[in-house]
Amino acid sequence: MSKDIDKLFKDKFKESKTTAPTEAWPVIQAKLKMRRINRLIYTFSVLGFLGLISFMLFSPQTEKTLSKPLQKNTSLKNEVILKDANVKDVNVNKDKLPVSKPQEDSKKLYATITTKKDSKNNTTKFLYKNNTKTSKKTPFFKNKLGYAISEKVVKGRINLLGYSLDSLDYSVKKNLKAERKKRRKKKDSIDVAKFNNEKGRRWNVVPVFGALNSGRFSENVSTLGTLRAVTYPDKYFDDNKSSGLISNIYGFNVVFRATNRLSIQTGIFSKELRFLTEDLFLSEFIPDVNPTNIIYNPGVEVRFSNTPDIVGSESVSLSQSILYMEMPFEFKYRMFGDSKFNTNVVGGFSFLYLNKNEIRAKTNTSSRSIGKAGNLLTTSTSLNIGLDVEYHLSKRLVLNSAVMFKKHYNTYKDYNNEYSPYNVGMHVGIGYKF
Amino acid sequence: MVIFKDIKKFKHKGSFEGWAKRVTVNVALQKFRKKSIIRFDDLEESKIPEEKVFIDIEEKDITLNFLLSLINKLPPQYQLIFNLYVLDEYSHKEISEILDISIGTSKSNLSRARKLLKKEINTMKKLQL
Repeated sequence: MSKDIDKLFKDKFKESKTTAPTEAWPVIQAKLKMRRINRLIYTFSVLGFLGLISFMLFSPQTEKTLSKPLQKNTSLKNEVILKDANVKDVNVNKDKLPVSKPQEDSKKLYATITTKKDSKNNTTKFLYKNNTKTSKKTPFFKNKLGYAISEKVVKGRINLLGYSLDSLDYSVKKNLKAERKKRRKKKDSIDVAKFNNEKGRRWNVVPVFGALNSGRFSENVSTLGTLRAVTYPDKYFDDNKSSGLISNIYGFNVVFRATNRLSIQTGIFSKELRFLTEDLFLSEFIPDVNPTNIIYNPGVEVRFSNTPDIVGSESVSLSQSILYMEMPFEFKYRMFGDSKFNTNVVGGFSFLYLNKNEIRAKTNTSSRSIGKAGNLLTTSTSLNIGLDVEYHLSKRLVLNSAVMFKKHYNTYKDYNNEYSPYNVGMHVGIGYKF
Repeated sequence: MVIFKDIKKFKHKGSFEGWAKRVTVNVALQKFRKKSIIRFDDLEESKIPEEKVFIDIEEKDITLNFLLSLINKLPPQYQLIFNLYVLDEYSHKEISEILDISIGTSKSNLSRARKLLKKEINTMKKLQL
């Protein structure tokens, strides 16, 4: 059977064509129209509002101008203003010029105008050469306008203007807020779509290196002295100046991206806390009392004290090093940013296991290990909060940097949590997504 | 995406369906132009026969995929004009305006496209026999 090639293609394509329901188009169009109308209403209301403001702003000036004596308009002298296009003949009737007002500029010019339409009736119309008629009415307007610009009215208008500006400010802010919300929503939906596409790369392993500084919220208490220290020589050196030293942290984080915004991370870290207690003395072993929280190494025959008057005492500083194995459990929430660069808030806690506990005596020239703290608990915890910045170097590599604050709990046997240390650290690492 | 982005530009002068179709065609054309440099066969309008091309074939023997493959085999200029004229139902005048070519060029390219398609279909028929 012979068939037109165009028809053959058309029919075949029509068979498989999926079209939107026919009633969908008018609905879309109606909705778009409504949007347009709303936009027009909004535009007109804004314009109207602006008009009102400008009227309020400029109207007193106009009134002032009007209340001034009207100016002469010499250029219009002896001219007849013809407003009707049908006017075909003008007869100037000079006899009707008023004699009582000799001033030339205020003279009325009476004109007899014959229009095409009313040519039979020869209707007489009066036209005014200048603003004489307006001038005549000036006292009336003057009174009215004088009243209008009275102080009370001006004050009222200023107040009204203030309210109008406030409401304009409010509406602009509201619109801005709505627009921002809309944009954020749109961005979120794009991010969610990207996240769904990236489902294969939700795990991230980040080797981390960092530095941290430690401190205590309480006064600079070394926590190595003890309340039992009452006998001479006084080794109760909690009052001595004790401060944190810069130490290091390293390990790796494993991050799981649970949703577009939320990630969960854990890992293993080796974290060292260091404190320095100054102005101490190392003196000969005094056998009758050992009131501090220091457990001296076997064979060490010197003791820390804060009394310089013992014969042969040496001026030293006490350096305490506490090394923990840390296992954090943290949530990361993306606050802002895009697929390339984003900022997250981090919150969670860590389990800490005491790995190394050492006390060293430091002089200007040497440093030696002489014992350990006797009041440290083997396991403790910390509460962690921080800010984390991620920069995606490629599809797989992420540069990660975080500032973390960690407050320790249950660190000591005989000191409450007030004396437990805190540390602030800066961590950096490059992660691999898989 | 372009329709959603440019929806504000819709002036409510015609139907939304028509406007959407037009946008789609224009976007497709832009993409097409980017991909390939199209040279249309120029011909004087008077020389072009406005003839229809008929083919002896049972419609059920031909699948849509086969027709699509035939269109894809056409040179780009024929493909473009055939799609616009036959499938999108644009007139030669409209095509000439869209592609900035003469009506004659549009007609001649369409005629050649039809002939090439007929040739391909006949080859297929022979192979089937």
